[in-house]
Amino acid sequence: MTALMRYHAALLMRSQRWLPPFLLYAAFLAIGIQAGQPVLDSLGYTAAALLPVAAWLARICVTGEPDAARGCAAAAAGPARAHVACLLVALAGAAALGTLATLAVTLLSDPVASDHRTRVPLPAACGAGLLAALACALLGTAVGALTSRPLLRSPGRAVLALLLAALLSLVVSGSPARAAVQGLVTGSQQGTVPLPLPPLAAAALVTAGALALAGALAARRSP
Amino acid sequence: MRPDLCLRNAGRRYGLRGPWVLRGVDLAVGPGRLVRVEGANGSGKSTLLRLLAGIDAPSEGRITGRPARTAYVPERFPPALPFTAVGYLTHLGAVQGLSRAAAARAAREWLERLGAAAYAETPMARLSKGSSQKVAVAQALLAQPGLLVLDEAWTGLDTTARAELERAVAERTAAGGSVVFVDHDPRRLAGLSDATYAVRDGGVVRQEPSQTAAAPGPHVVVETQGPPDGRLPEEVRRTVSSAEETGPGAHRLSVPAPHSDVVLRALLTARPPWHVVSVAPQATAR
Repeated sequence: MTALMRYHAALLMRSQRWLPPFLLYAAFLAIGIQAGQPVLDSLGYTAAALLPVAAWLARICVTGEPDAARGCAAAAAGPARAHVACLLVALAGAAALGTLATLAVTLLSDPVASDHRTRVPLPAACGAGLLAALACALLGTAVGALTSRPLLRSPGRAVLALLLAALLSLVVSGSPARAAVQGLVTGSQQGTVPLPLPPLAAAALVTAGALALAGALAARRSP
Repeated sequence: MRPDLCLRNAGRRYGLRGPWVLRGVDLAVGPGRLVRVEGANGSGKSTLLRLLAGIDAPSEGRITGRPARTAYVPERFPPALPFTAVGYLTHLGAVQGLSRAAAARAAREWLERLGAAAYAETPMARLSKGSSQKVAVAQALLAQPGLLVLDEAWTGLDTTARAELERAVAERTAAGGSVVFVDHDPRRLAGLSDATYAVRDGGVVRQEPSQTAAAPGPHVVVETQGPPDGRLPEEVRRTVSSAEETGPGAHRLSVPAPHSDVVLRALLTARPPWHVVSVAPQATAR
């Protein structure tokens, strides 16, 4: 599995196809975040914006390998393992990106609640922001996994489904990503730092299921 | 001894309601066996090979006994990979279970054997079609696979690389690996296949040897001297087309050309070793 992940990570890094989603994320943050804003609000936005980016990254990882090369890797390691490894690389990339962004946003923001008076401890806020970002990275990867090969093979439909699913995961009540982001925003209004562990656990479960499903279908629905 | 690779009543179709590409396939490939698959274009040969290689799962039926190390050479190999030839091969060798150092060593060795050592550091995007096919072949041979699946792997290779791949196939089967191949050239590994299967009308039929009637390929004559009353090593007897005793312990062997290295290695490493008196290409009596 390590060798497979190294192979897919190298494929992603060297193809430079990771650049557009990274730029999109930077643009999201540049538009929505200014220095001196309440830290938990900014971190909520940072986490929410990561979800569609993670989904796009997953799609890039899944579609980046030419069919014939995928066949060689699948014969060597098994199609399910090869597919899951490539999605895990996408997840690791999204998580790394979210971590960097959360740290940067924490440093730029003011340690206050929404009313700009109540103090909020920065380390705790940063920790909550990291957990929320991880929940969004997980769910975004699940969205990417479920809206690309082998589940959806027509690119047009897949991209539409990806956009729709990413949007729904952020707004539908009951979604772990929404719960994590909402927790930060509510915490900011009340001047308390939440600990978004239940949403993170739920996101991890959903994503594990999505990856397992995509992996199991990899050999059944190709090419 | 590992079990045979078996397809039992296997079928494959694309999509839940798609037409069956293959159905009711029963096929077994034992260790050390060379199996040829024939069929018209679009008959489902590639689908059968993808099932055997484990890239696709059967939509119905079962497949059992696939060796842990399986390697596959696709029909057309894309150069659209952001690696150098040796970089890609090192990754694939590691995926097949080699350490990175061993994978890099094997990568350079196979590129050299196939006559592509000069392109080791070339980005794959700049390789010619033939050279990227060599990378595809090298990829499959890196880790001495227990099952080697070749889908028109010879297409696009130059003459020396074709002969080298034939010898590599002989090495694999001599080492107990199974090899399944498709090739449009009926003279490819002629007379060496243990079984030939034809894919037609969505089914797979085993061809009788008389039906395939392949003319034997080029042979090599090996004169060898063993101890008086010595029996030829088992591996040699299995591989040669004919063996004739010309004196006490002296034999004249007729060996299919791709297997010549395997036979010589077996003779020289036998206990006690046999003496190789001469090796010469056999005059073709056709």
